[in-house]
Amino acid sequence: MASKEEIIAKAQESITEFDADMAGEAAKEALAADIDPVELIEKGFTAGMQIVGEKFEQGSLFLPHVLAAAEAMNSGINVIKPEMEKRKSKTESKGIVMIGTIEGDIHSIGKDIVSSMLSIGGFDVIDLGRDVAVSTFVEKVKEMKPDVVASSALMTTTMVTQIQLEEQLKEAGIRDQVKTMIGGAPCTQDWADQIGADIYGESATDAVNKVKEVLL
Amino acid sequence: MAIDYALRMGDGKKIFLSKDQLLEEIEAGSADAADLGEIPSLSGDELAKLSEILMMPGKTVSVEQGMEVPVTHDIGTLRIDGDQGNSGVGIPSSRLVGCMMHERAFGSDTMELGHIDYSYKPVKPVVANECQAMEVCQQNMIVPMLYGAMPNMGLYYTPDGPFENPGDLMKAFKIQEAWESMEHAAEHLTRDTVWVMQRLFASGADGINFDTTGAAGDADMYGTLHAIEALRKEFPNIYIEAGMAGECVLGMNGQLEYDGKTLAGLWPHEQAPLIEKAGENVFGPVCNTNTSKTSAWNLARAVTFMKAAVKASNIPCHVDMGMGVGGIPMLETPPIDAVTRASKAMVEIAGVDGI
Repeated sequence: MASKEEIIAKAQESITEFDADMAGEAAKEALAADIDPVELIEKGFTAGMQIVGEKFEQGSLFLPHVLAAAEAMNSGINVIKPEMEKRKSKTESKGIVMIGTIEGDIHSIGKDIVSSMLSIGGFDVIDLGRDVAVSTFVEKVKEMKPDVVASSALMTTTMVTQIQLEEQLKEAGIRDQVKTMIGGAPCTQDWADQIGADIYGESATDAVNKVKEVLL
Repeated sequence: MAIDYALRMGDGKKIFLSKDQLLEEIEAGSADAADLGEIPSLSGDELAKLSEILMMPGKTVSVEQGMEVPVTHDIGTLRIDGDQGNSGVGIPSSRLVGCMMHERAFGSDTMELGHIDYSYKPVKPVVANECQAMEVCQQNMIVPMLYGAMPNMGLYYTPDGPFENPGDLMKAFKIQEAWESMEHAAEHLTRDTVWVMQRLFASGADGINFDTTGAAGDADMYGTLHAIEALRKEFPNIYIEAGMAGECVLGMNGQLEYDGKTLAGLWPHEQAPLIEKAGENVFGPVCNTNTSKTSAWNLARAVTFMKAAVKASNIPCHVDMGMGVGGIPMLETPPIDAVTRASKAMVEIAGVDGI
């Protein structure tokens, strides 16, 4: 039987090789060897995702690779889920992030990448899509109570609507219940300061790191 | 007393830097491009020249005599009659009048006719109108008239087109289906572009401009390269120009290749040989502006990337200069101080063939 270290290394490799079958095998071997599922996830699968995330940031891997790695991770986790439920063990949910491209703006690629990276980073992500009305953001914040609400804008003509989001959250009396994050090519830290947004995410990785700093 | 020089942030805000700060910024900007693109950073002389340009006292600057380059415009007519709270000046005028203004008043060396939707796909149902406008322009103008639009492959995905949106498919981990959707969309993009341009060439267009190639990622560039190939085969003597959407080809697919080279992650100097191979006459390389950095940092970075692209290209490089690209701040109406300094640096340091 493989050692604990070998099984955890195999779990990590299954992610960096985007191999869902290998992830499932590593999970089965971990169960047979009585390895704590949470340890397998954190030291094996999540560690592998971190490597993939770094390569994505360097430009040597691309979005489909990141998602294929996430799919492999899901395969592994599905195998150990019954055991985790039996043990009542669970990985810590890092928080809920609601995200959407702001009203009037249909550019969704950047928002999709941030959404995927947040999800991979362990956050529960509610993706409202593109061209999301400010009123929809506010209604959904009331309804789903996320920890962070993030709006993306790719144009100087649509970034101004991010001000309205800040104002309407205040008018609805829920601004202090949620952190706001902005991103997109024309946005800057200065812009975030000017409109009162809590977080400015310059890139997908920067967004994930800053959300972690604020919530964890 | 130390002198401070008026510069800009990438979002257009005016700032003042000392000479030492300015030099630090341009060194850091050039180093960033060199690191990302694995290309040489600017030499000491080039950095000194760039700092001189940035420190020139005039509000506007210009190239030295004898270094003038061709200047063209994409859908410039929109800037004349457009008045949507953007950079349009709201002067009622037809596209013919707008094109003639560019030729006769603004000094454009070539001009482009484009439809307000500015993508090849929506031109299909109005192609007869476009052909008529092209003919009228050709009857009244002398400079080469291109027809231009964006490949804009996003229009082939739901909700705007027939193929499932790869972004949605990938979120559901349907990666194979997402790849297939992108490849189908690329085929349609190639087909539509060729169909539209067959008609516009029959109406006298001198060439075609693919504007913002790769906006929807590597599959968008893949479809465009194949369209260029098909057009070059069918029309050996037409003028084909392709400008990029960004400095780096987004890897939305990640595995598409052209001429044995993976398209995802290519930088301008790596894009140039492929564009040339497909059959282009002119390449429009792009460097994006980082709105959180100074114009000195952005311009040094842009010049470093463009210099490498010019070196790698056997066809002329007409750098994309405007709002948020080419070291110019991201403002609806880019400030003239930054625009003219960036243009001068591109010509005199990067050695671009046109703007």
